[in-house]
Amino acid sequence: MSTPTHDDSRPGDPNQGPTGSGPGTTGAGPGSAGKGTDPASGGAASATGSAASASGSGGAALTGPDQDMDEPPAGGSFARYFLRKLGGAATSMILVVLLGFFAFRLLPGDPVLKIAKERPMSPAQIAELRSQYGLDKPVIVQFWDYLVGIVTGDLGESYVYRKSVASLIGEYLGPTLLLTATAAVIAIALGLWLGQLSAWQRNSLFDKVASSTSLIFWSVPTFWLGLILLMIFGGTLQWLPTGGMVTPSLEPWSAAAVIDVIKHLILPVITLVAVVYAQFLMVMRASLLEEMSEDYLTTARAKGLTEDEVRRKHAVPNALLPTVTVVFLHIGGLIAGAVTVEAVFSWPGLGKLTFEAIRGPDLPLLQGTFVVFSAIIIVMNLAADLVYRFLDPRVRRA
Amino acid sequence: MTDLSFENVSITYRSSSDRGDVVAVKDVSLDLPAGATLGIAGESGSGKSTLIMSALRLLPKSARLDGRVLLGGKDLQDLNFGQIRAVRWAQASIVFQGALHSLNPVREVGGQIIEALTHHAKDTWTTPEKRRDRMFELLSEVDLDRSKAIAYPHELSGGQKQRIMIAMALACEPDIIIADEPTTALDVIVQKQILSGLAALVAERGISLLMISHDLAVLSAVCANLAIMRHGKLVEYGPSDEVCLRPQEEYTKQLAGAFPQIGDPESRLNPRTLKPAEVTRAQPYTMGDEVVLEAKDLSVSFDTRHGRERAVRGVDLALHKAEILAVVGQSGSGKTTLARSLLGLQEVEPDSQLSFAGKPLPKKAKALRTFRRQVQMILQDPSGSLNPKRSVYEAVVEGLRVQGIRDREYERVVGALEAAELTPAADYLESIPQELSGGQRQRVVIAGALALDPQVLIADEPVASLDASVRGEILSLFLALKKNLGMSALIITHDLGLAWNIADTVAVMKKGEIVEYGDVDTVLKDPQHAYTQELLAAVPRLGSQSLVRNE
Repeated sequence: MSTPTHDDSRPGDPNQGPTGSGPGTTGAGPGSAGKGTDPASGGAASATGSAASASGSGGAALTGPDQDMDEPPAGGSFARYFLRKLGGAATSMILVVLLGFFAFRLLPGDPVLKIAKERPMSPAQIAELRSQYGLDKPVIVQFWDYLVGIVTGDLGESYVYRKSVASLIGEYLGPTLLLTATAAVIAIALGLWLGQLSAWQRNSLFDKVASSTSLIFWSVPTFWLGLILLMIFGGTLQWLPTGGMVTPSLEPWSAAAVIDVIKHLILPVITLVAVVYAQFLMVMRASLLEEMSEDYLTTARAKGLTEDEVRRKHAVPNALLPTVTVVFLHIGGLIAGAVTVEAVFSWPGLGKLTFEAIRGPDLPLLQGTFVVFSAIIIVMNLAADLVYRFLDPRVRRA
Repeated sequence: MTDLSFENVSITYRSSSDRGDVVAVKDVSLDLPAGATLGIAGESGSGKSTLIMSALRLLPKSARLDGRVLLGGKDLQDLNFGQIRAVRWAQASIVFQGALHSLNPVREVGGQIIEALTHHAKDTWTTPEKRRDRMFELLSEVDLDRSKAIAYPHELSGGQKQRIMIAMALACEPDIIIADEPTTALDVIVQKQILSGLAALVAERGISLLMISHDLAVLSAVCANLAIMRHGKLVEYGPSDEVCLRPQEEYTKQLAGAFPQIGDPESRLNPRTLKPAEVTRAQPYTMGDEVVLEAKDLSVSFDTRHGRERAVRGVDLALHKAEILAVVGQSGSGKTTLARSLLGLQEVEPDSQLSFAGKPLPKKAKALRTFRRQVQMILQDPSGSLNPKRSVYEAVVEGLRVQGIRDREYERVVGALEAAELTPAADYLESIPQELSGGQRQRVVIAGALALDPQVLIADEPVASLDASVRGEILSLFLALKKNLGMSALIITHDLGLAWNIADTVAVMKKGEIVEYGDVDTVLKDPQHAYTQELLAAVPRLGSQSLVRNE
């Protein structure tokens, strides 16, 4: 299993979207989920681009009566913007649903034969199993069942777990969200904070140390770092638990159980943060460096602001704009990274579930996790567009 | 009241590159007594911006200052950072080029004005409400509506942004205002409004004004005294009238001549330059009767959120053989759209008729390619239109390769470079754009067009981003191309002086329509349409002193 986090993009290359250039898309759900978001992100970028140019040229045509011939026009409504973005997200989601069905039909290996291999079965039993899973029906009928299932929330039944996929995903989603959200918040805060300090003190010792450290962690394979941490803190020192999320003997939601979950959380979160925070640092650093020669910073200095105020009040708010888009895109990568981390730390999350499903191959489960992962990333992209509009007045009123 | 004086100021930029230290300002002494107005003129690289930045100690760390900058008798070098921050904006404020990026794009402009007040909270504006009222008061002083306070910079026009910059500069009632090219990138009518507003506000309050510009006429309209800088040195200093109308130094004469006086017969069809392009043909071409490029009833519309907007409305134009036609107008008048339509780059309304050499403009890709060999475009910013990674040879040869012209490639490129007066051409072939000056880059762009032996050049503001002295060279090149090769040119510009310098005919555009069209001498000397008259009246004139207060 490769480490999908590293395949999504490299640090210092903020414009590279999740092109799904190969290694990540080993047929696994999360890897190809990145592909599913491409239309969304691409569409969003070109939509804002054309909106900006339209307001530019439109401004020229809409001339007021006297003095301000080039006054730009007022902007459109939030509802229209939101609907446009929502439409883009819905389109992506439809493509994901289609891909989710057909991509897994192309995987090599017959799932029924695989199940049959583990215990002796007669051809009649195999045929019965086939009809039980609906695999004897024509593909088009299977597809129809799949669509109806998606709409009604029924994602089929797992071959391996013998349970409904929807309930399996429901069960494993919580831990994944806990792990990735914690890691995301820490990685983003750490990366952005270090990034802006690095840029502001460009080429200083601090900048060099912060940037190179982050890149070293970035280059380390996720599973390797996880294993090393596991060996040191879980094995040798025995400070922290080596796997799972809870100690079964504890009463749920008691103070001891909460502390226990936090203890279980520390190593996976550290691993995940260490390998991803570099991308946030690099993006923030690059965007702030772009802003540093801008004239409005000279204006702010001439107004008598301190260097610190110039950075906080003027430079950083502008540098955040390009950063936000990339940050949200990388949250998708974070979820992909969770697959490896969950496998290493036996974290009972969606990543581990996906990992099991690939080994199956457990088609309904793979389809289900694929659709859920993709949906999360599409929602994140939508959130990025909305946050962006909130942060950047040029988008807000365009 | 505060005096500002520079005493033997030299400023050196330390550089780690092999060029060594760069001396930006050499031994300059200038005085700005309280209430006076002083203009500093110079081209890019003359050190004028560096000099004024030193007045608030805003130079980068790599700059070393020798000599003294005295503000109100105090040497700025002796102040600590806290003291210098208190001086900034409260005693001396700066008006930057607001039309560009001097305002923070993600903050409301009203808030940016209030920020200055908050940092220098005097007894007068102690509470947020008082500061807000002060901000509204400032907006009304620069003739902006209160509603603009919550606007973001991108929602304002260039002129409005410049007004915000001026309001911000006035906020803390400074003794000195330093204006850095306050009207560059604005067109003449807006420029006049900004200049007269600034001059009036400064005069009312007895604020002293230090203004820098590359345009002598702009400075002479506002400033009583003028200083000319070149290569970091002070070349000439004196009262505006003296410097503009009776310049002593050769360089000042050149600067003064660069922007022609419309109506002055000496500059008609004769751009002032030290390096005029050579006319080699014994009988130079003159404007003929044969129509090369023609537009009839040309209309262009764009879809905007507010429905279809017509950017060009029913324009009739005819470009003759060996004619230079200048299309002038303010920004937003549709002149660039017109140029794009003539090149077949812009979809036009169905009734529009465009023809080249008597035949309708082709629509198919292949025919368009042949057509574009005949009609070439030259853009405003030579630095932006050349690929920074390609050599001059590659830049010029690209058009030939696109057109599939394979024979005598080298000779054609050298010929084009020589026609664009880059001689000897062999010296330039391997250069990349960053090794060339602005004027040389524009010549490379022109050579790229000439390599295809076009019949028509369409140029969009070809000299707007060039220095005054280079401007004359490039304009004289256009004239020489017409005379030597019989080439026709359509030049889009906001600069009436350019039309006076080289054009045979002029078309004045306003809101997508041509309001006046005819021979340059007739139109510019005796304008019929009110808009042409307004444009002409707004052009600043050398030594006109129109806006200077009399002391």
